Amino acid sequence: MTAFSQPKGIRKLLSRLGVSATVASLVIFVFLPSFFLISFTFTQWSEVYTEVFANPLIGDTNWIEIQKYVSLSIRLAVSAVAIGLVFGIPLAYILARKNFWGKGFLEDITTFTLVIPTSGFGFATLIAWTSIFGVDSVYLIPVINVPFIMLVIHIALTFPYIVKTLKAKLEDMSTLFEQASGTLGASPLTTFRKVILPLTLPAIFSGAVLAFARSLGETGATLVVSSVYTTAPIAVIRWVSQFNFGAAAFLGSLLIIVATAIILPIEFVLQKKGVSSFSIFSTLHIEKKLLKLEDFASRKLRRMRDVVVLLFIILVVILPIIVVLNSVTLSWNSDPDTGKVTESVMYQLFGPSNYFSALLDATFVSFASASIATYIAACIAIPTVFLIKRYRFGRFLRAILRVPLIVPTSALGLSILLLWGPEGLNLANPGIWLIILTHIVFSVPVVVEPMLATFEGSDIPLYEGASRTLGATQYNTVESVSLPLLKRGILAGVILSFTRSLGETGATFLVMGSATTIPPLVVNMVESLAVPAALFASTYLIAISFVLLMLFRKVTTR
Amino acid sequence: MPDVKLKNVVKTFDKGRITAVDHVNLHVRDREYLTLLGPSGCGKTTTLRMIAGLELPDEGEISIGEELVSNLPPEYRDIGYVFQEYALFPHMDVWNNVTYGPRVKGWEEAKSDRIGREMLELVRLFERTDAFPSELSGGMRQRVALARALSSGSKLLLLDEPLGALDARIRTDLRYEIRKLVKDLQLTAIHVTHDQAEAMAISDRIAIMRKGKILQVGTPQELYLNPQHIFVANFVGESNFLEGYITERTNHKITVELREGISVRSVNQDHKKGEKVVVAVRPEVLSIKKGKKSGLNSIFGNIEGFRFEGTNVRYEIRLENGDLVVVVHPALMAEWLGVGEKVTVAFPVEKSFVFSYPERGLRMELALE
Repeated sequence: MTAFSQPKGIRKLLSRLGVSATVASLVIFVFLPSFFLISFTFTQWSEVYTEVFANPLIGDTNWIEIQKYVSLSIRLAVSAVAIGLVFGIPLAYILARKNFWGKGFLEDITTFTLVIPTSGFGFATLIAWTSIFGVDSVYLIPVINVPFIMLVIHIALTFPYIVKTLKAKLEDMSTLFEQASGTLGASPLTTFRKVILPLTLPAIFSGAVLAFARSLGETGATLVVSSVYTTAPIAVIRWVSQFNFGAAAFLGSLLIIVATAIILPIEFVLQKKGVSSFSIFSTLHIEKKLLKLEDFASRKLRRMRDVVVLLFIILVVILPIIVVLNSVTLSWNSDPDTGKVTESVMYQLFGPSNYFSALLDATFVSFASASIATYIAACIAIPTVFLIKRYRFGRFLRAILRVPLIVPTSALGLSILLLWGPEGLNLANPGIWLIILTHIVFSVPVVVEPMLATFEGSDIPLYEGASRTLGATQYNTVESVSLPLLKRGILAGVILSFTRSLGETGATFLVMGSATTIPPLVVNMVESLAVPAALFASTYLIAISFVLLMLFRKVTTR
Repeated sequence: MPDVKLKNVVKTFDKGRITAVDHVNLHVRDREYLTLLGPSGCGKTTTLRMIAGLELPDEGEISIGEELVSNLPPEYRDIGYVFQEYALFPHMDVWNNVTYGPRVKGWEEAKSDRIGREMLELVRLFERTDAFPSELSGGMRQRVALARALSSGSKLLLLDEPLGALDARIRTDLRYEIRKLVKDLQLTAIHVTHDQAEAMAISDRIAIMRKGKILQVGTPQELYLNPQHIFVANFVGESNFLEGYITERTNHKITVELREGISVRSVNQDHKKGEKVVVAVRPEVLSIKKGKKSGLNSIFGNIEGFRFEGTNVRYEIRLENGDLVVVVHPALMAEWLGVGEKVTVAFPVEKSFVFSYPERGLRMELALE
């Protein structure tokens, strides 16, 4: 045993090599693309400046437009998160603490909008609200000036983040505190305010942050229902398609900076300190009245809470799905209103426009790029998790890995286009390879997150220690103990990353060239007013998502 | 053969702010069953983890047998380690857990199988080889953990509070089982616990730790009969502490004046005349007589509390100078006295210990945390 100097040297070299390779691939595939757009904006500042602030033809019109777009995006995100919180918090509580018939189904439904490609779901919502309630996509909510249908879609796409994070936290938390509070005479609502809320506030916050980021970057569904309104990510896409790179880069950088500046500090503070309980009420006279009110509401309004939450789910998630499925069957052979065969699903799919073969091609591109991107992302993510857990810089690494998750994807797509595409290093032309490079950027953190959660939930350091006292080397330990224990986390991450990649629209639009994936195809169908074809494509996406959802559920439940 | 030596071992946490292990020196002899005993947070588990290589010392040297292992990873130390929380791999069944060591060491399959069978028979769990850890009771899990630690064939077994998570009765049964196993297989064992009864019952020698330091190492009898430190006198067995000043000393005896001028005699242990001291007397050596009696080391008092504890009865007696002492007698050996009874308690000179009065005060010195 004394002659260890030789293998020890090699071991050290190998581990250094592994660490450097992982860091290098993180930098090249993830961090460089995330931040390149900002540096591009700075290095090409004179060009950007002319285009945005001092265009010889239109002056600073672009700058004024940018302010308008960003303002709409932020108003939209804030309202969506606010409403999501109102309904999401009770929903998370019910899912975590109650047992009832159909709970599994309710959970699936809340996961559904995370999984479905958004353009398909956006179209479904549009059809549902226009056909049933007659709400036009132009209809603007007064005061906050946000298009109604767009808001409904953003709520549907973002509230699951709030529900998921809070529910996970609640399930982790012992019910002991709640029971104790109850035995001390607090009504359920008082217990919620004084015990549950302070303990779960960090989780609620990080859920809200994720929801905000998702709304800020959402493109697929928003494009479908945008009509005359333009959000910031849509403006990026529009400008790029007009080769107006300066303005697009400026707006994209602005989005990246806004997202990072709002979200990262919050995350960092939360991770470090948590939120101490707040007691603004106890110093005021309101407290007594509040207690009475809570007691009353706890007894009388419990039923109402359940009904309201259920209604919310039905309106924003279930209704669109049912309407689309119904419309597809109705217009299968001919338009149900006019009776025209040219307006039927069959005609548009197999007739002269031949959308069916376009859909098949898009399916191939989608699955191929999602599989390859997810595979490469997993290869980078697995060693990254060990880096985060084993090294001092891990915490920092973890924090900046949030950036690709919160950066609006259209900005990301533009960044990739300018970095690897013909305008930059000219490594790849727009097409499937550029799509893959783009998807890797956000897939790595998507795989890392659930793996980290599993890592932290399963006492890995303990088992690694046990394995090594039994004589297993570090490599052996990782292979036979750590990775098998992380299997669920890896699988969950891979499925999430695959679905995200499959549904991604904003970035894909910019880098796909002639190789279309399914979500942009749906947008094109809507824009060319091929409604029956879009109906079919939406149904198709709903079906795929359903399968992926079942897979995800199988993997994550024990 | 595996004896274990620790030389001036130091371990700090939180960037040096917390000293968990403070210049510890210890020699665990070959085939010895040694227990590290101390209150929680005293550094005993950290010491064990450093011997295993799960933590690395900041300073000092650790050697196992002839080899200096201070910075060697655990997999090269040839040890068996039993974790408090069992740490059975949840994704492997009993058989795969137990044969994990032989397999990762690349031993032949036949050999691994033979060892696995032997170890499982040793802990009487051969019929449960297909079970997963989650399907076993706490005691069974700990036996599997023991079998797994032994299966690597190591002659050094490290046990970190192995019985801590078990029910009282199972704990005492398994205690003797472990000791028998260690002796039968001629192992060196280092056992960490905070339970002094467990330590007394199982060990050849005990090292008492407090605040990162070893206070005394000795056989259970030595620690009980001859505690070198006032903390040991209190932690191993119980003691009554009487404060006073030395008024007289000869070569062998001293006279201590307690509060209210009561004098008692005790054994001289290098103390000076006039020094403030504490006289320690075990509750079980104090005798009780009804009424006021005179004699050597006899103090008059009043019974304030009586408790029947099953095997023993326990009296709390307020002495005439205000000190409170506890007296424990076997329940069936004498007549039971009631609360309010006037009594005289007495103790033999040679069965008391004298310690210098601790600088930090008696209460602080005896505190467990």
